Amino acid sequence: MFKLKLTALGHPNPDEFNCDDEKEYRSVILWLEDQKIRHYKIEDRENLRNIDSADWNIAYENYQKDLVSPVINGSLLEQLNWLLSYAVRLEYADNVEKYKSAKVEQPKKAAPNVVSSNPLDNLDFSSPAFKAGVERVCTLAGIGPHLDPKVRLAALAKVLKSNPHPHPTSLDSSIVQQPTDVLKLLFLQDIRDLQTKINEALVAVQTVTADPRTDTKLGKVGR
Amino acid sequence: MVVRQYNEELKYLDKINPYCWRIKKGFQPNMNVEGIFYVNNTLEKLMFDELRNACRPGMTGGFLPGVKQIANVAALPGIVGRSVGLPDVHSGYGFAIGNMAAFDMADPKSVVSPGGVGFDINCGVRLLRTNLHEKDVLPIKEQLAQSLFDHIPVGVGSKGIIPMNARDLEEALEMGMDWSLREGYVWAEDKEHCEEYGRMLNADPSKVSLRAKKRGLPQLGTLGAGNHYAEIQVVDEIYDKYAASKMGIERLGQVCVMIHSGSRGFGHQVATDALVQMEKAMKRDNIEVNDRQLACARINSIEGQDYLKAMSAAANFAWVNRSSMTFLTRQAFAKQFRMAPDDLDMHVIYDVSHNIAKIEEHVVDGKLKTLLVHRKGSTRAFPPHHPLIPVDYQVTGQPVLIGGTMGTCSYVLTGTHQGMTETFGSTCHGAGRALSRAKSRRNIDYKDVLNKLETMGISIRVASPKLVMEEAPESYKNVTDVVNTCHGAGISKKTVKLRPIAVIKG
Repeated sequence: MFKLKLTALGHPNPDEFNCDDEKEYRSVILWLEDQKIRHYKIEDRENLRNIDSADWNIAYENYQKDLVSPVINGSLLEQLNWLLSYAVRLEYADNVEKYKSAKVEQPKKAAPNVVSSNPLDNLDFSSPAFKAGVERVCTLAGIGPHLDPKVRLAALAKVLKSNPHPHPTSLDSSIVQQPTDVLKLLFLQDIRDLQTKINEALVAVQTVTADPRTDTKLGKVGR
Repeated sequence: MVVRQYNEELKYLDKINPYCWRIKKGFQPNMNVEGIFYVNNTLEKLMFDELRNACRPGMTGGFLPGVKQIANVAALPGIVGRSVGLPDVHSGYGFAIGNMAAFDMADPKSVVSPGGVGFDINCGVRLLRTNLHEKDVLPIKEQLAQSLFDHIPVGVGSKGIIPMNARDLEEALEMGMDWSLREGYVWAEDKEHCEEYGRMLNADPSKVSLRAKKRGLPQLGTLGAGNHYAEIQVVDEIYDKYAASKMGIERLGQVCVMIHSGSRGFGHQVATDALVQMEKAMKRDNIEVNDRQLACARINSIEGQDYLKAMSAAANFAWVNRSSMTFLTRQAFAKQFRMAPDDLDMHVIYDVSHNIAKIEEHVVDGKLKTLLVHRKGSTRAFPPHHPLIPVDYQVTGQPVLIGGTMGTCSYVLTGTHQGMTETFGSTCHGAGRALSRAKSRRNIDYKDVLNKLETMGISIRVASPKLVMEEAPESYKNVTDVVNTCHGAGISKKTVKLRPIAVIKG
């Protein structure tokens, strides 16, 4: 993981880096500060340098705070990713002239690149944002807890199928109601268009089949 | 029937709110669920008088009172929710007229009962609008009434003027309104504004006896007798401007045409045939009921399925029948006004069934269930945004057409969410009888009835004037009481009131 960014930054061993190993992770953070970011003075990097210390995490968190990292609450991988990108940006800013002329040759694609238009296909099921979203919607529908958010989502789908009108316990109605109303009206417009097309098709068929007749001689008034 | 003192009977009845009474278990034997009925103070009195009369010594063997019938239905196998009595409830064959009951399709013991549909299968009401005003019609009212009378044959033994042979009938039974559409008798928009789009898909003409078909063939396009009618009406009051405008009703005095008819002798024969079959099925499957008239069969039995397929064919017959009369009405108006029906804006507002059993999905105790819903003298009234109602009524809820009696008002209501949860999306169907036909004949003079209509400025054409007192307003409950109860109870909502200016009757 992160092979491309590590290579770009000139890391000595980008191929072997294992980001799940705590020690390697910490080493890379230290390497980034020592070689690339250089946010602290050398003597202030002491706490980060103690990669075997239990206090390293505190130092790391302070470091991120000092850098104003936007993903300070994200996963470790997200945090590292941001630091790497930040380092790349600094590297580029130092040598704008050198990199500006760099050209990347596009490799010829064998197959056309199919980009899925369905945003659901690109969901990251392990991200905390997904977990938090599932948590929220499951609380609304009264789905019990489960370790795997995907299982909870499946349970929610089942409940919605068998009981199409779950009554939300507490809900700020105006926030939900207005967009729901708009969606309903848009849906109605679609259905109206469809029904009009159906009617037009029926009328087209009638021009061929219709032959309404009456015969008053058949009529008989009863008693 | 359990014989108890009137005061003892009252202990099983419980007033829940000003419009609604509960019938507790034990009122009749073996009740699986409770009963419920909707009445206001006036209708309540009628209802309890009926019960008190039945409790008098020596009154056994007569008509069962409506409350008892509602409770007997609550004892049928597979019933869910409650057995519901609507405000126009009165004694009928097995089920009271104005009773709805739903049976769980997933329960193998659940039953279907022809008595829960009635003999006039898919009897219903259709309302056409026009862009005419009352003052356009008044000068030629008599001619228009006569023209309608000439176009639409009425009365017992009447024959229709749309030529049909046996093969046409088979196709019509299978296709319902699609047949009328194919043959060019109706417009595409008519189908859109009809309950079930005018066609029961499970109809199977091969399950219908030859006798029924022979009775039905000449009767297509005829109104029939009894309480059936075609009326020219004008808009008298608009309660819900938005819903009315969605129906194309824009102003007071606007002229509409209401057609109230059913499946004639055809449906009657289908019901009679099924009752014979079901008695056998009951013996075989050991089905116990409180009243012999509640003959029924398990939904999944051969008899149950055969009945549902034949009933659907009869329902299709009724839709073709009302469609044929729509065609004839448009012709009559077009001739009188020398304008095309299109230019008179003679669109179908809606078409409701009030004697039918249908498979529907409802939420029972928080769970979605597939049910066989019997509505006898009860109209479906689905709420806004229900997927089975036309797109034009998605915001207002389904239009519910309530025909009054001869010379009284009619109403248009809309379905509500409350009705969906309380009564499986059902409401009343009309005034509901207060006096039996025989009693009406004894107590009322037909000349008085006709004179009264004349003084009210209502033109009338009848096939058999001497039977007209059976249908006199005095023989019925007050339709306004009935409608106000439904509105007050929240199971449907008043939209428009219509007043008749001309009546065609059997």
